[in-house]
Amino acid sequence: MAALWVAGVARKSLTVAAGAPRREFWSRFRKEKQPMEAETVEEVKKEPVLVCPPLRSQAYLPPEDLQSRLESHVKEVFGSSVPTSWQEISLEDVHMKFSFLARLADDLGHAVPNSRLHQMCRVRDVLDFYTVPVQDRSKFDELIASNLPPNLKITWGY
Amino acid sequence: MLQLVRAGARAWLRPRGCRGLNALAEEAVQPAEKPEPLANAGPQAPVLRRCELPVPLHRRPVQAWVESLRGYEQERVGLTELHPDVFSTAPRLDILHQVAIWQKNFKRISYAKTKTRAEVRGGGRKPWQQKGSGRARHGSIRSPIWRGGGVAHGPRGPTSYYYMLPMKVRVQGLKVALTVKLAQDDLHIVDSLELPTADPQYLMELARYRRWGDSVLFVDLEHDDMPQNVVAATSGLKTFNLVPAVGLNVHSMLKHQTLVLTLPTVAFLEEKLLWHDSRYTPLYPFRLPYRDFP
Repeated sequence: MAALWVAGVARKSLTVAAGAPRREFWSRFRKEKQPMEAETVEEVKKEPVLVCPPLRSQAYLPPEDLQSRLESHVKEVFGSSVPTSWQEISLEDVHMKFSFLARLADDLGHAVPNSRLHQMCRVRDVLDFYTVPVQDRSKFDELIASNLPPNLKITWGY
Repeated sequence: MLQLVRAGARAWLRPRGCRGLNALAEEAVQPAEKPEPLANAGPQAPVLRRCELPVPLHRRPVQAWVESLRGYEQERVGLTELHPDVFSTAPRLDILHQVAIWQKNFKRISYAKTKTRAEVRGGGRKPWQQKGSGRARHGSIRSPIWRGGGVAHGPRGPTSYYYMLPMKVRVQGLKVALTVKLAQDDLHIVDSLELPTADPQYLMELARYRRWGDSVLFVDLEHDDMPQNVVAATSGLKTFNLVPAVGLNVHSMLKHQTLVLTLPTVAFLEEKLLWHDSRYTPLYPFRLPYRDFP
């Protein structure tokens, strides 16, 4: 029994020691790996790189030439034949409204939110919307920055 | 020889400038050139949608931007009109509460059960005589005042909390929820849910760039027609969920910070929700077939 077992182990060790069949066995796997890696690298390069642009701040300050910019956009969208009362032009037509508001949003970096789109009936409403500045800071930051009486302290421990 | 004749015939039929290329090579190059102008086309036609269903005369439709998920900066691809009786109805918070609580409770079955003094093992015999032993008088050792005795007014068996709110109340709840989402700037309309990649990271960064919030609910029309990319992306994310239009409910809308609807979904919802405003009372339940049920 023990002699048979020793002979079997010796046979196994002989076959393991014979390196030629083992090398052939492993070399097949090595050859298969290399073309696969080259293919995956090429596929990754072909996909377009989608990089997220930097976050925009929600703060908006109306520029000083807001009225002139609005007038120029009105002329672009509604044609150059614009009456002097350009603020009374109605935005009923969906095409005109979309092109006008989209151009303004791209120009000024501040878009009309969904909840207030239906309130924009005339160019005057759009002008009133864009004259209101929007601040990025929370109420607490505003309070801290404003003039407080000396006995009032605000600690924001978030 | 025949190829030369064919090339010559083609050159004669379509006289353009001198073409140094072979006809076969031209045909091979053209399909590669076609996708490029589509990708690089800047100002595309805006996606505009009018409200198909009749709007009451005293009200005007509400509007919303149509956005696109294909690029980070593709907000304002178009403008859509929304029916005021669905997206701008009265903000009935009490109906919202009723419907949300109903959704939570109607499925509930509580399985709690305790044994009464009759069900607890033992306690049929009077433990000691009524008078003379000096101890308090008792009738059984399993009465509720005894240790190990039954529970007097405990939960009794599986109890069902099933109840149904009227169909019109549930429909009004959906309308109010959509109104509230639009009024608080948490509703976004999208032309379709097609993404450029199936990477969940892309969706997260898009939501962060557009300041949508932590949780977004995407609603498409049919379960089978959902694009593969958005299915893969949302299945990898916990707070970004995708449901078909029939799966829209008040609890999900309140739980997610942002709601993203596609244009076909908006049409579907308007049709289904507005039908209940002007329908007859059912002669038989609606789950049985009707000829004109939407």
